[in-house]
Amino acid sequence: MNDQPPNPSSLTRQGMDYGETSDVQEVHAAIQREKREPRVGLEPLSIWLIAVYGLALFTGGAYLGRYSGNFSGDSLDIAYIPPKKAGPGGGPSGGQEVPQTPFDRGKKVFSANCQTCHQANGQGVPGQYPPLAGSEFTNGGSRRMAMIVLKGLQGPVKVKGQQYGSAVMQPWDKTLTDQKIADVMTYERSEWGNKATPVTAEQIAALRKELASHPESYTEHDILAAPDEDIPGGGAPAGGAQPPKPGEAAKPAPPKPGG
Amino acid sequence: MKGLIPLFIGLFGTFTFSWVGLTVIPNVQIGALNPQSDEEGTDIYPVPKSGMAQRGRSVYTANGCFYCHTQQLRPDYAAADLERVRDAGISPRAKWGERRSAPRDYVFGAPVLLGEERMGPDLANIGKAAPGQEQEPAAAPGASPPAASPAAQQSPPPNAAPQKSPGGGASAPAAANLSPSPSGKPNPNGIPPAYSEAWHHRHLYSPRSMSRDNLDSTMPAYRFLYEKRRISGERSAEALQLTGADAPPAGWEVVPTYDAKCLVAYLMAQDQSHPLKEAKNVAGAAPAPAQSPAAGAPSPGAPAAAPAAQQPPKK
Amino acid sequence: MTPAADIPLKQPAISATAGDVEQYERALIDASTRVPVLMFYASAMVWLLLATLLAVIVSFTTHSPDWFSDVSFLTWGRLRPVLMNVMVYGWASMVGMGTAIWLMARLCRTTLRHPLLIVAGTWFWNIGVAIGVTAILMGYSTGYQWLEFPPYVAVILLIAYALIISWAVLMFRFRRGEQIYITQWYLLGAFLWFPWLYAAAQVMLFIVPVQGVMQAAVGWWYANNLLFLWLGAIALGTAYYMIPKVIGRPVYSYHLATIGFWTYVLFSSWTGMQRGVDGPFPAWMITASIAATILTIIPVATVGLNHHMTMQGYFPVMRYSPTLRFTVFGAMSYTVFSVIGILISLRSTARYLHFTEATFAYSQIGLYAFFTMIMFGSMYYIVPRLVGREWRYATLIKLHFWASAYGIGLMSLMLVAGGIVQGTSQNDASLSFIESASSVLPYLRGDTIAALLLTVSHFIFAFHFGLMLFGLGRTSTVPTFLNPVEAEGSETHL
Repeated sequence: MNDQPPNPSSLTRQGMDYGETSDVQEVHAAIQREKREPRVGLEPLSIWLIAVYGLALFTGGAYLGRYSGNFSGDSLDIAYIPPKKAGPGGGPSGGQEVPQTPFDRGKKVFSANCQTCHQANGQGVPGQYPPLAGSEFTNGGSRRMAMIVLKGLQGPVKVKGQQYGSAVMQPWDKTLTDQKIADVMTYERSEWGNKATPVTAEQIAALRKELASHPESYTEHDILAAPDEDIPGGGAPAGGAQPPKPGEAAKPAPPKPGG
Repeated sequence: MKGLIPLFIGLFGTFTFSWVGLTVIPNVQIGALNPQSDEEGTDIYPVPKSGMAQRGRSVYTANGCFYCHTQQLRPDYAAADLERVRDAGISPRAKWGERRSAPRDYVFGAPVLLGEERMGPDLANIGKAAPGQEQEPAAAPGASPPAASPAAQQSPPPNAAPQKSPGGGASAPAAANLSPSPSGKPNPNGIPPAYSEAWHHRHLYSPRSMSRDNLDSTMPAYRFLYEKRRISGERSAEALQLTGADAPPAGWEVVPTYDAKCLVAYLMAQDQSHPLKEAKNVAGAAPAPAQSPAAGAPSPGAPAAAPAAQQPPKK
Repeated sequence: MTPAADIPLKQPAISATAGDVEQYERALIDASTRVPVLMFYASAMVWLLLATLLAVIVSFTTHSPDWFSDVSFLTWGRLRPVLMNVMVYGWASMVGMGTAIWLMARLCRTTLRHPLLIVAGTWFWNIGVAIGVTAILMGYSTGYQWLEFPPYVAVILLIAYALIISWAVLMFRFRRGEQIYITQWYLLGAFLWFPWLYAAAQVMLFIVPVQGVMQAAVGWWYANNLLFLWLGAIALGTAYYMIPKVIGRPVYSYHLATIGFWTYVLFSSWTGMQRGVDGPFPAWMITASIAATILTIIPVATVGLNHHMTMQGYFPVMRYSPTLRFTVFGAMSYTVFSVIGILISLRSTARYLHFTEATFAYSQIGLYAFFTMIMFGSMYYIVPRLVGREWRYATLIKLHFWASAYGIGLMSLMLVAGGIVQGTSQNDASLSFIESASSVLPYLRGDTIAALLLTVSHFIFAFHFGLMLFGLGRTSTVPTFLNPVEAEGSETHL
């Protein structure tokens, strides 16, 4: 293409040293051929465009109106579903339509209170939290177990042949009602392959009275000193395991059935 | 346009309108949700993740898992999310979820990892898909660190419990067909039970080795989360069960790093099955309580709480 | 082939070249903006090349994931956010700011004093992006789309931005002329919205974090607003300058431009929540965004009509002018982009397209087919005025255009089609999930081919731009046409 011949009069402007050529007319060839800066015309809106606007506004508005669930923060669904009145099973736990058994209630108590340490599978944490699954305390008489739950346990303890003791179990007598303790014990004694007698609230109440004068936390020695029996007075339905004779250490739970 | 003031007012106003409308107002509506609890103050859902699961969330975020995995379930009228079952596992396979996700499910998420694409399945309930505890390897890696990860040991009662009476908590026999032995050894073909911790570890290490059907999986192999080392003494309980080309040479084992264990703890804590009042299925019907009263109770997703859960709940 | 002189004119010839004083003024303005704008462009080109290489790797490992599995910072989950952030903050924001500075200077008819302040801003921005990228690779991604940089990087970027914006606003303050032209509305808006947007997102997500799913809502609000109110506004403003400027005719209608601008801002800023359709949100938020997306048909139709009528009779100029070709491609892509956006956000289609590659396709079309192509057009116009040379090889420009056009076209097609296939499979609960992943694999392979095309295109452009930067362009009074202009004394001075 055309190369510009060098021009003797070289004017250098700040930052504009383009090289050989310096004449305004030729240096700014690109600018020279530029058209003026853009301007705006004033054509009116087309009627068809206004029709498009109307259609869009209508569609958008209709969509907004129909699917907004009344602009409520609670409505997750596009059609507003009014909250159910509290009825049988309309309670806060949602859809639960069946009456709760001790096992169910106990499971809730377990989840909220015991699971953090004893784990959901009842296996505990090695060295720290003894397991409940297959434990001789859980499967044995309810007295020993209830003593632990009511008053807590500290110090070294041997469960299923393993030593534990770095953690302290808190007493639950002030935190949980008799019914809740009974329920959670019932749950633990029949979950994870455990097969032991259920526990009633009356039994716990009786034991609580019996132990009222005892200071907090038991040690393993205290627990083993107690008879390994079920707390008397329970009308335990569907008799479970035979209570072992007092003083006899509970047999370890049978190995969980395999596959 | 000549007027500068109207221009600026317009610029400011339109932007503020959208900011207020899409972030401030919804924040007022759903930005201060509390976990749901029942009338006695127990059965709290959700609970914050703690310990290893919380760190696992950072691992999940750092490695961009949310670019391919979602953690939200759409309602039944909107898509087939709630009809889907997991790809792995013995039938009946775990469903992706019983109910849609709701804002309350995520109150303790930081960040909230809802995800935007599904090159891989949804993970909202992946923890619940894990088999029952009988199938858990006894010394699952997540269990050891103290005070850290109750979440890592989540093992809800197997879904096979339904037909049993509540009193008979012997869930072992029905679920036992997921594993040939009580100690959680892998299936004869070498794959750990589906969605167990060992399964997740293997899946992270070698995604395409999980089954013949999984060869098309496009998940990257996260081998940098694992460590290959010599077996000293006896084989570590945490060592991955690998077969075929992935198996380390004799005398070596592959163990997860702490980050890998935390990531798996996080996955095992993913459980949105607890019923929520506001998350109803279509026509207002509550999501089916998982087959039985026993399973209708709160999922073990609840307890990974701070020790606050041990404090008197009934103050 | 029609000689350019035969192109019918609707009106008498407006003007060929402007007067001398105006030219002198423009020369000074261009000289003052030379260093900062070229600095923006050069930085942006580097980031673009990095992003393109990453795009190939990311796209490849999407369907063949066994690369790089031993290295933590090369895993897909980290490269993908790096890719998106480099594209948005490294390439798009920098080229946008470069073009916007030049446009602002020209339209305000003032020179840019103290350009070194902007240059400093450029370097701060570069450093910020580099630190952010390193942080993501090391595992400190925040988990929010397009906000993966750790919060301290936002501080660096906002400082850089303050340096840059202060002079842009000052130019506006000292502008000459009465009218505020359309482009200036868009650019002013973009300059003002970006820091608010970015700062609001940072505050609501990291400083005083909102709870739960509101984080996701804020994240999506930010991402969509960034695309429309920052990048989209710059692109539309640029198109409003380049199209009438190159063909020498006024924009068709002021009224259309006004309506287009305000409805664009109003409705586009309300989109974003459709990314959470059927998710754990109150239904009205999602619906509001979907309704806003439907309503964006108004600005799309308006702006599209405006450009179309402006160019009426001048479409053949696209044969010759690279600027016009790229810009019109981008402007048309805006229409396509919006239509796709509407289609994928309706709940009935979202059933099949949500959680699939189609959503990724949507942001790619917006980021590349719309924004980047317009920016390429602007670079083809602006760079010769800054370096005093013309583009050297018309062939390279043509190659650039076609490789980019086919590349993004193929990518969009593959990802949308793949998304449809994927979504249909995902919604069939009788199929196992892995089937949906399998079904999309061929489309992902096609996407890699598209990424390779884009790589070729960008390396060609980078080479060409490098030639210009080092003063190796053509010295000529005639611009580089893409095809030879036949008639002498034609009206198509470019």
